[in-house]
Amino acid sequence: MSTEALRKSQGSLRAVAAEHPGGAIAAIVLGAIALAAVLAPLIAPQNPFDLASFDVLDASLPPSWLEASDERFLLGTDAQGRDLWSAILYGTRISLTVGLFAVAIQAAIGVPLGLLAGYAGGRVDTIVMRAADIQLSLSTLMMAIIALALFRAGLGGESLGRFAVPLLVVVIGLAEWPYLARTARAAAQVEAAKDYVRAARALGASTPGLMWRHILPNIASPLIVVATTQIAGAIMAEAALSFLGLGMPVTKPSLGTLIRSGYDLMFAGAWWITVIPGLVLIGMLVSINVLGDSLRDALDPRRMAG
Amino acid sequence: MRLFLLVASVALFAACAAQGAAAKTLRMAYDSDPTSLDPHEQLSGATLQTSHLLFDPLIRFRQDLSIEPRLAKSFETIDERTTRFRLREGVKFQSGRTLSAEDVVWTFNRLKQSPDFKALFEPFSEARAVDGLTVDLVTKGPYPLVLNLATYIFPMDRAFYSGVDERGRPKAAIVKHGASFASTHASGTGPFIVTEREQGMRLKLKRFAEYWDKDSPGNVDEIVFTPIKEPATRVAALLAGDVDFIAPVPPTDLARLKQASCCTLITMPSTRVLTFELNQERVPAFKDPRVRLAMVYAVNSEGIAGKIMRGLATAAGQLSPPGYAGHDPALVPRYDLAKAKALMKEAGYESGFSVTMMAPNNRYIEDARVAEAVAAMLAKINIRVDLQTMPKAQYWQRFDERAAGIMMIGWQSDTQDSANFYEFLVMTPDKDKGYGQYNAGNYSNPEIDRLTLQTQSMTDRGARAEVLRKIERLLYDDAALLPLHWQHLSWAARNNVKIGAIVNVIDMPYLGDLVIE
Repeated sequence: MSTEALRKSQGSLRAVAAEHPGGAIAAIVLGAIALAAVLAPLIAPQNPFDLASFDVLDASLPPSWLEASDERFLLGTDAQGRDLWSAILYGTRISLTVGLFAVAIQAAIGVPLGLLAGYAGGRVDTIVMRAADIQLSLSTLMMAIIALALFRAGLGGESLGRFAVPLLVVVIGLAEWPYLARTARAAAQVEAAKDYVRAARALGASTPGLMWRHILPNIASPLIVVATTQIAGAIMAEAALSFLGLGMPVTKPSLGTLIRSGYDLMFAGAWWITVIPGLVLIGMLVSINVLGDSLRDALDPRRMAG
Repeated sequence: MRLFLLVASVALFAACAAQGAAAKTLRMAYDSDPTSLDPHEQLSGATLQTSHLLFDPLIRFRQDLSIEPRLAKSFETIDERTTRFRLREGVKFQSGRTLSAEDVVWTFNRLKQSPDFKALFEPFSEARAVDGLTVDLVTKGPYPLVLNLATYIFPMDRAFYSGVDERGRPKAAIVKHGASFASTHASGTGPFIVTEREQGMRLKLKRFAEYWDKDSPGNVDEIVFTPIKEPATRVAALLAGDVDFIAPVPPTDLARLKQASCCTLITMPSTRVLTFELNQERVPAFKDPRVRLAMVYAVNSEGIAGKIMRGLATAAGQLSPPGYAGHDPALVPRYDLAKAKALMKEAGYESGFSVTMMAPNNRYIEDARVAEAVAAMLAKINIRVDLQTMPKAQYWQRFDERAAGIMMIGWQSDTQDSANFYEFLVMTPDKDKGYGQYNAGNYSNPEIDRLTLQTQSMTDRGARAEVLRKIERLLYDDAALLPLHWQHLSWAARNNVKIGAIVNVIDMPYLGDLVIE
């Protein structure tokens, strides 16, 4: 990319940000959360997954700005004496990991299938899209609950604790591929009829090459938008499964596990164990959704023209 | 929405008013519902609580632990091995039959068959029907706890449980964790009859019209049990008036209930000890007493009693609670992390090992949280615990399979006597006699076995207490298991439900005598 083009793209980024202030704020918030999650081992005063690092005598301490708190614990502690700030940092890490990797799986399955269906049409299209319909008719949570319960019964708690993250990634990834597939198919259908595709074909481009090199780059923007909202969905699914006790184990709490572990203490006064991780989760999901919206607006050629 | 609520509440009020005049309904929420109606399938608090509803014991404990005659109107000692019980006349079973001595004998023989109960009745040789309304309980030798065990004899309807069911299986069969006839049907002499039962959802009972005890002040015509697993939800349901009576009350909500003007809260120290058993067959390291001792030293039971149980428990260093013959005040909880680490090093496990742990999550107060805290404490001496918690319906099955290296068990002495702890929790497992039935640690110590059996025939209370204390000291020094605390009991009810008169330290609320104003 030439310097000229770079300056132009930077300029347009700034222009986009000016046009979508909500999106810009969301991106900043999300960036901060992601940074904190990545740097969790450096920032967190305690490793919340190391059971030896906390003490039950510190249990249920309120956040540091309230009475009877302990200054060692900025956001207080959970019912086991775990530092809530550290637990949230590590929990966010799990949420983002699950979100990103689950959507990577969704994309790995959904995008090629959608492209193929949209480009090839006919019987291939029918088969792929009916498979997607069947998959969608089974709710994600239901499938995940069944799969995780089976794993739990089959493998026992130990392996589940160790494989909880990859399991969640696979389960959520497999359950939600049709969303990306549908988007890819719809966009590919439109693109396949365009002149540049015909021209490429006339020039002798192979079908896979045509789909990969010509169509995919042209349908990237709707895919990015859908993927963003899918990340939010995956994070929420992880939190919901953990809240139900099927996701991350209590010894490795994610945000959902934390919310659940403090749930019955909420009315007993220890609201922070549920409320603070809940707010972080909401903040993260809202940012992702706002960002997704802004991206859609920004990437929409019709709006961009105006 | 508001209109709807108004209409709904008016309708509800009308329904209540109409019902209030005629019938008193008790809506009760427990942490979980009984897994079976068979009084001999599972030796557990829930089984006995259910038995007190559907059946009646020969005699029972009053609140002050004195003996109250029930189906037996009187009892006397004939000789040092025989106690004679005279039954009430005209007591009706729910099937319509009349209770006779033969029913008691039949029930006694079934108890001797039950894998869970047989150890309790091992000191007994037979029950003999002297005439239609007189039964002799005969022990193998002199036995000091005959009356205590008579509180566990809930006569069953011999004719009702005889023969085979529609699938050709004997109706009397005791099937653990299975669907047997007795686990789903009942005919006893108790104050209530099951009208509807949906496992895990609801248990509905109505008062037995021909109940023998006409002097009982109880005025409850119908009971609706709803299991509410989430403690906070249970408390919220009580405060909102959706239920009238809840048990247990979670430690976290004690303060809130004390302040609530709508409700009465009752707590009392109980004799139920909560402990972990260390499975020596599954985890070879547990064979080394130093490792077990290190674990005892690593667990801060005072901390758990204070922080997780919030004072609703007394930290324990032994099995026998204060007041029991075997209780030795010198055997206090030991928490010393440095010593625990030193012992691990001495045993050659400085770098620790991994072990599985299982605990129920709706059986004991804060059970899952307590297990989690213990797992964290053991991590400090490099024992990496993989914890799995589950509802008790699944837990007991896993417990019987001895499925984890460390398993949680709470035990209340059936006889209100120390020996019961040793017979069930630490004696060498013996399938025939039933000893060690809940010894998931497979702990085996011939000295403990010998001394425990010795106490069964000792009638000199002082000498017997001496032996019981000796056993308790041996277990303490050998770190046979990991005692945590004696859990306190807690109930709460709406003010018009007079639970004060019917709850007791053995945690068997006599709902038949409950008065609702």
